[in-house]
Amino acid sequence: MSELPPIPRPEQQPLPPAGGPRRIVLPPHRERARRPRSVRAREWVRRNLFPSWRGTLLTALAAGVLGLIAAGVIAFVFFGANWEVITHNRWLLFAGGFPREEAWRLWVSIAVVFGLIGLAYGTWSSLGRRDHLFVLLVGGFVIFLMAHGGAEIWSSVYFLIAVGCMYLGYLLTYQLPRATSSLRTLQVRVVGGLLILALPIVLLLLLVGGDVGIRSLDGFVLNLVLAPVGIVGGILIGIPLAVGRASSLKSISWTCTAYIEIVRGAPLLGWLFVALFILDDIIGGDLIIRAMVVMAVFTGAYMAEYIRGALQALPRGQYEAGQAVGLNQWQRTRLIIMPQALRISIPPMVGQAISIWKDTTLVTVILPLRELKGNADSAISQFEFTPDRIEAYVFVAVIFWIVAFMMSRISQRVERAQGVGER
Amino acid sequence: MPDERSPADIIAESAGPKAAVATDRSPSAEPDELSPRLANARDMIVTEHVDKWFGDFQALDDVTLNIKEEEIVVILGPSGSGKSTYIRCLNRLEEHDAGRIVIDGIELNEDVRAMQAIRSEVGMVFQQFNLFPHLSVLSNITLGPQKVRHVPKLEAEALAMQLLERVGIPEQADKFPAQLSGGQQQRVAIARALAMQPKIMLFDEPTSALDPEMIKEVLDVMQELAESGMTMIVVTHEMGFAREVADRLVFFDEGALVEQGTPEHFFTNPREERTKLFLSQIL
Ligand SMILES: Nc1ncnc2c1ncn2[C@@H]1O[C@H](COP(=O)(O)OP(=O)(O)O)[C@@H](O)[C@H]1O
Ligand SMILES: [Mg+2]
Repeated sequence: MSELPPIPRPEQQPLPPAGGPRRIVLPPHRERARRPRSVRAREWVRRNLFPSWRGTLLTALAAGVLGLIAAGVIAFVFFGANWEVITHNRWLLFAGGFPREEAWRLWVSIAVVFGLIGLAYGTWSSLGRRDHLFVLLVGGFVIFLMAHGGAEIWSSVYFLIAVGCMYLGYLLTYQLPRATSSLRTLQVRVVGGLLILALPIVLLLLLVGGDVGIRSLDGFVLNLVLAPVGIVGGILIGIPLAVGRASSLKSISWTCTAYIEIVRGAPLLGWLFVALFILDDIIGGDLIIRAMVVMAVFTGAYMAEYIRGALQALPRGQYEAGQAVGLNQWQRTRLIIMPQALRISIPPMVGQAISIWKDTTLVTVILPLRELKGNADSAISQFEFTPDRIEAYVFVAVIFWIVAFMMSRISQRVERAQGVGER
Repeated sequence: MPDERSPADIIAESAGPKAAVATDRSPSAEPDELSPRLANARDMIVTEHVDKWFGDFQALDDVTLNIKEEEIVVILGPSGSGKSTYIRCLNRLEEHDAGRIVIDGIELNEDVRAMQAIRSEVGMVFQQFNLFPHLSVLSNITLGPQKVRHVPKLEAEALAMQLLERVGIPEQADKFPAQLSGGQQQRVAIARALAMQPKIMLFDEPTSALDPEMIKEVLDVMQELAESGMTMIVVTHEMGFAREVADRLVFFDEGALVEQGTPEHFFTNPREERTKLFLSQIL
């Protein structure tokens, strides 16, 4: 061995400075990006709207169609429509038979949820100009709706306070450092824990004590409770189903597969019929509870499939590295596989969440439960409002859109926030 | 970890004597070719007549190879010759179909607890690093000690920092794997394996996925580890490393162990035609 040539040893490389911000030196060609704003705007318009005579024609056509639609909408909203059907029935639409003297429970719940959204945004993301604009528009819309005519003036104040809670939560967490540290870990744990506790807390607030019970859930409040219960319940059912379907034990994997395929084989409408008739004989219970069970069971089958897809997408090396470190199967699943699989499956799960959100209206159709759309039906069945059904349904559609839009925005943020540590 | 060691000890007692007997009549070890520093070392890894089948494809064919404590063995061979399969059998990422594998006196068999005991004694470094992308570098390293060995968090973190120091990247502790270069990731992977305080380290082509300028930083860490007295099995095509660091080279072809000997033997007068052909292609 002695006469063999030695391997050259490397020189110790200097360590890069720990942490500290590094100065970024722009290469010279970046100067072009600093042309005056107006020039850049003109450039953008030319390139994106009028690139050629054919493009110009299409732009003009699109502008014409959009203009017509906008004119029609404006004419309807501000001149043609009679919004009294909404303002007159706003409590009916919002909470229906929820006892008025217990309304504080609703406002506290909304404030809690808004506060948590603020905390979460401050912890993992940030509010941009568009978010503030969205809050301003939606908040203005809601407050105008409440304050109009003066009868619900206090409700608009409560809503303002809830929005304030959101910004308070945001300001509380946004200032804290983002870099990995024990303080950051604590913050993430606390906010994450609060998010997990949010649904139980809200349910407790809405359903326990005083003059309220499961039957008090009515109107928009019912949609707002049904959907999260279905989504959270669906995820809780979906995780073990996905793991079970991937199990090597055939009895387990076949059972899980059967559940998933049977549930996905029929529409939610059909399962709500089951809740109405069959579940009545088996578990009984209030119709709302049965609806919640069906929603969770139904969503669970879809969530399971998304999670299973993510499990399969994980490289084998992740399982093997866990094995090589000595983790047992339960630890591998809990610490390595599931956290990654859940992250991967967030986008399809949000899609499912939005879909179940809209499907909460089905409980009116099948079960005689009075959610937002059902109460809109009752509003227009009042004699003086029968001509105003378009107004009522447009309103319902806008409300549903606002919530669905928020869900999709938040999920985009979640995806972006987890960019670090991906790939 | 008394609760984890006790079943292993029981197996060790039953396997120990047999293992000793087996070594004596081992056909392929040529004592005159072993480094003198290992002359009196005990057998750390005993593999006898190991077969492995994937369906009706035989990936390992009657492999017999005993490795001494503190020995550095480099496995060579063309792609598909069963090198990975062999070392993956050693920590039971693959189950062998016939023959015997005894690691540090513990026989690998159906016993799950023996397997767990082995896995916490055998560290493995993969070609693709396989770091946990959702955990920080520090958490990647502390995960095993905390969850398997039940080391308290602070202690595990102190150990992890020591190891990062040892592989030369303590300043990266709070980053995520995706933020590191390939060479840094592989060094974290080595630190992660070392955190379990293994007696044996397996390396499966640890530098094959690296850009050329990063290969050396990983090989240096491995060489330092070898000099510290670790028992190591390294699958690699880095002939410089094999020549400088290995006590013994082993050549695999078509699932079989074709030839073994000191680096000197391999680079001056290899015996088998297949070895000569392979070396002529790779050197
Ligand atoms: N899980 C598996 N299933 C089927 N065949 C496999 C599997 N793993 C490895 N093989 C086959 O076994 C042979 C040996 O593979 P491997 O040990 O990875 O070779 P090497 O590491 O020497 O390149 C190859 O032909 C490979 O295709
Ligand atoms: Mg290989």
